[in-house]
Amino acid sequence: MRRLVNSRCSAERPARRLASRGVAILLFMLWAQTSAGEGWNDDLQIHGFLTQGFVHTTDNRFFGGSDDGSFDFTELGVNLSYRAAPSVLLSGQLLSRRAGDMYDGSPDVDFALVDWNFSNTPGSSLGVVAGRIKNSLGLYNDTRDVAFTRPGVFVPQQIYFDSVRNLLLSADGLQLYARRSTDAGNWAFNLGAGTNPVDKNVEYAYLGRDYGGDLDSSGVSWIARAEFETHDGAWRLAFSAAKAKLDFSAAASDPIGSGNIDFLYWIASLQYNAERWSLTAEYMEEPVDFDDFGPLYDERDSTVQGYYLQGSYLFRHDLEFVMRYSEGFGDKHDRGGRKQSGQTFGIAPPHTFYQKDVILGIRWDVTPRFMLRAEHQWARGTWTLSNRENPLPAERVKDWNMFSLLGSYRF
Amino acid sequence: MSVAKTNKQLRASVAWLGLLFFSLPGLADQVLIANASVGVDGLSLNTTRLLFSMQLPQWPDGTAVRVFVLPDDHPGHRAFSKDLLRLYPRQLRRVWDRQLYSGTGQAPQTVADAAAMLEAVAQTPGAIGYLSREMIDETVSELPLQR
Repeated sequence: MRRLVNSRCSAERPARRLASRGVAILLFMLWAQTSAGEGWNDDLQIHGFLTQGFVHTTDNRFFGGSDDGSFDFTELGVNLSYRAAPSVLLSGQLLSRRAGDMYDGSPDVDFALVDWNFSNTPGSSLGVVAGRIKNSLGLYNDTRDVAFTRPGVFVPQQIYFDSVRNLLLSADGLQLYARRSTDAGNWAFNLGAGTNPVDKNVEYAYLGRDYGGDLDSSGVSWIARAEFETHDGAWRLAFSAAKAKLDFSAAASDPIGSGNIDFLYWIASLQYNAERWSLTAEYMEEPVDFDDFGPLYDERDSTVQGYYLQGSYLFRHDLEFVMRYSEGFGDKHDRGGRKQSGQTFGIAPPHTFYQKDVILGIRWDVTPRFMLRAEHQWARGTWTLSNRENPLPAERVKDWNMFSLLGSYRF
Repeated sequence: MSVAKTNKQLRASVAWLGLLFFSLPGLADQVLIANASVGVDGLSLNTTRLLFSMQLPQWPDGTAVRVFVLPDDHPGHRAFSKDLLRLYPRQLRRVWDRQLYSGTGQAPQTVADAAAMLEAVAQTPGAIGYLSREMIDETVSELPLQR
């Protein structure tokens, strides 16, 4: 769901900032402990990654001034985990992400949690997690910022879109998880409840601009996921969903009333892995419901839709060829974008409400710790582009190509 | 020397070469090993997969499980995952990465080579790993895979 213009500000809520600082101090103390102490190094692990990308587009802006070539895509993560007891794991990750005009690289706590796996046998496992938890949505959301785990230079934008990225990335709350092993394979279930951070990006994406009033998450949001994987890892099936509500309290100067936005976001995922090739398909829908805002917004109810099919072929153990076809629509009942364009009085052309693209790419694992990727994308439609990076809808070019390079190191 | 005899000798040499190739250490015959403290006689394939997927953090007696692996591109690791676990190395890596970078698990400890593997498993209580059979000595116990 993305409509008009985004802004540059990304105000964090004070509570979130305080939590970030607290966790940073905790991580530092853990770090200091390891260099000083002995004996618990086995249980303490430090890992991280550094990724640098380059993007060149024929038209439009993607992750910076890409029409002239952009290096404004850097990801840096440091991750600490400590197994306090066989069944208790503490872990946290700091992430700095620079992505064009959307994210400026200021570090944030990606996750910080306590995981208590209170029952675990080969047949089944049960546990609970508390803290800031990555949302397991689809096959890639929970590690979407780790280049080694992505299916391409970027996560498929039609499903894992960046404009409301922070709303779906993580939640502060509790999660229950279970595993059940059967003869056919392993089932994994997650159910989480928590609050989702809302920043200015979200207000711009859903309301189209920064009003005087405030948009905030309302009550608890829910995340659920069920996954099945055969024992040999050949088949993976998953269904995941998030349900959340946003409350807008209007300021006196706002032309719209107070209201709320309900949304449900769900993904069905299917993957088949053979020795040399694999096929992945994911399908997403997001019904969005605007209430009580008044006529300007209440008409905007829509069902966002996105899907892709990706094939990959490993022609040497370190060299993989990737191909992907994706489609995404602002409203599945208006795939041509005409009705939505009409709602903006024609300011946003129809092609800003859909996008279809083909990607061809190659991944080279130079060493187990260093990876390179190159990709070319042919796109029709500009729906996945950030409004913040492309503030004038009329200037977007409907047919455009993108070439990208990425190098990533991990330890 | 007759042509027929030369051919026979040639065929014998090829057979010997082939035998040599297939018995190269570290390629075919990987077996599960554990620290002597691990009170388990053998493991089923699925339990072994769960252990190496870092999803079983403790042994039945409550001791912490310590998993050791060779680097992803080591021939011994590839042979172990394909022939013993019947998983491709990148499937294991995918599972480890997902847990590690979402904070829900840890990665196994990577050792540089077979000698380091033997030493790590011998000296770490609760350790599990793998080695080619001829590398194993009495400092570790072999865990048969129950099929």
